[in-house]
Amino acid sequence: MATLTDPSGIAGTVKPRIVRQYNFAQTMPALVLILVFFVLPVFALLLRSVLEPQPGFGNYAELLGSTTYLKIFLNTFVVSALVTAVSLAIGFPVAWALAIMPSRLSSVVFAILLLSMWTNLLTRTYAWMVLLQRTGVINKSLMGLGLIDEPLPLVNNLVGVTIGMTYIMLPFIILPLYGVIRRIDPAILQAAALCGATRWQALTRILIPLAAPGMVSGALMVFVMSLGYFVTPALLGGTANMMLAELIAQFVQSLVNWGMGGAAALVLLVVTLTLYALQLRLFGPARMGGR
Amino acid sequence: MKNLTIIAAMAATLGLSTAASAAELVFTSWGGTTQDVQKAAWADTFTEKTGTTVVQDGPTDYGKIKAMVEAAGVTWDVVDVEGDYAVQAGKAGLLEKLDFSVIDKTKLDPRFVTDYSVGSFYYSFVIGCNKDAVSACPKTWADLFDIAKFPGKRTFYKWSAPGVIEAALLADGVAADKLYPLDLDRAFKKLDTIKAEIVWWSGGAQSQQLLASAEAPFGSFWNGRLTALAATGVTVETSWDQNITAADALVIPKGAKNKDAAMKFIALATSAEAQAEMAKGTGYAPINVDSPALMDAEIAKTLPDQQTASQVNADMGYWAENRDAIGERWYAWQAQ
Repeated sequence: MATLTDPSGIAGTVKPRIVRQYNFAQTMPALVLILVFFVLPVFALLLRSVLEPQPGFGNYAELLGSTTYLKIFLNTFVVSALVTAVSLAIGFPVAWALAIMPSRLSSVVFAILLLSMWTNLLTRTYAWMVLLQRTGVINKSLMGLGLIDEPLPLVNNLVGVTIGMTYIMLPFIILPLYGVIRRIDPAILQAAALCGATRWQALTRILIPLAAPGMVSGALMVFVMSLGYFVTPALLGGTANMMLAELIAQFVQSLVNWGMGGAAALVLLVVTLTLYALQLRLFGPARMGGR
Repeated sequence: MKNLTIIAAMAATLGLSTAASAAELVFTSWGGTTQDVQKAAWADTFTEKTGTTVVQDGPTDYGKIKAMVEAAGVTWDVVDVEGDYAVQAGKAGLLEKLDFSVIDKTKLDPRFVTDYSVGSFYYSFVIGCNKDAVSACPKTWADLFDIAKFPGKRTFYKWSAPGVIEAALLADGVAADKLYPLDLDRAFKKLDTIKAEIVWWSGGAQSQQLLASAEAPFGSFWNGRLTALAATGVTVETSWDQNITAADALVIPKGAKNKDAAMKFIALATSAEAQAEMAKGTGYAPINVDSPALMDAEIAKTLPDQQTASQVNADMGYWAENRDAIGERWYAWQAQ
């Protein structure tokens, strides 16, 4: 994670922005690689969406005209928004704690965060399945304690997807937030307290506004990543909570209908790029928290 | 990670896979315990006899087959696919015609032989139940669809394929010989009655996990997975009442690099001995009619080919014809 400059310019030290020098000769191999192995295949798939089975926009009409597919679009947004909100609610206090705790302790917490990121995604998702299922550890413990009589439905539904995805997305919100919060001068909060602000006022009127850029960029990143998520919703969600990526996989692999697959992929791509553009516009490339 | 989907689509477009050199043959199947046995019973024997190395790949992916054939970069030589897909893909020009001068089809169950494919093994969708987890086990499809008599979660195969729609119609009282053409309206109406109680399994290992943990104490399973689960000590009850058969098929994608070796591989894989070994290891039935004689009688009687009393054959021809239409409706219904 690169360091963040403080966009508000009020608090902390503002580092002089490093002047970037682009050397196109050196980036050419990478650009060619991306063009050949990424841009062209994607373009080829998108082209199929207007060519197969007949030339025209039939696939898009079918995709956007069907209540089932619209439901999947809507569900994709609902899940992504929910995951973003929960990640933010959990990530903010953690980032704050990380910023103010002694560095020896915070490096341990960071190690835990990063280790979880490096563990295989499938393994982590299956672990959640074992924990959350009706006969899983959580339900058995709660029933053993007499807190519930019937197992709670924690998996194969929206709850399971939200828990599993939030867990995976947390580092992506904590790291940028940490960068922003660490640069807030603690003296400002002390000053607020001296001037009679309550803790709640200090939080809502000082800390959160100052941390807002980190919150927004982290939230946007989590939201955009969630939109295209596949493994976790496929394993922890039910078919009624299907997300767009699963629909695309079905079109491409099972139904072998690449026209529709391409159309759905384009819709996802357009939404993602729009949000990305919004993020760039609001916060600029230098303020993106290194991602 | 952000564009996982697009990367997956790309991989499909490019048909990225392990490349095979000339002395090799690439065999692709569905992974798990079934492919382990296919390797032991077929591939290792083939290597011993011919000296050709057999590289295992998987899982089978119809998107990849299409991509490879279209891009003329076929890296899979023999692929284990579902029977209805084999019929459809043969017609769509995605497969090589099999050379029956190399493969002896006179001993193969004719139900599973087409110009482009031969059976790999055949299996039944049966009713499985974890006896320790429930007081009573469903015995018929009607029982499995009766949430008043058998409350709780039940598990079914997630993908659009022969099996679940047939089960719904049989449960609703359609006679076995009147199943086709499938009355989809009626089937989905019946499925609606238990939809909230369905947990879908997308692969064999997951079906075993669901049953063993009693997450879903009963459901519809591939018979071989129940045999394997029982062997691990789980008390499984299998009901063969109206078991619904379907078969996997062995095919060669059009333009496969090692076509001749692939024919020989299929000849060996469908031989009586290889099919008998496969059946012993998996609990699925052999498609070579001479295989049962080579098997231990105790094992032979647990296989689907001995459960013909009320057996229902899924109509692969019908499915091949209607695969796309049923699939679209199936997934739309699931997502509702």
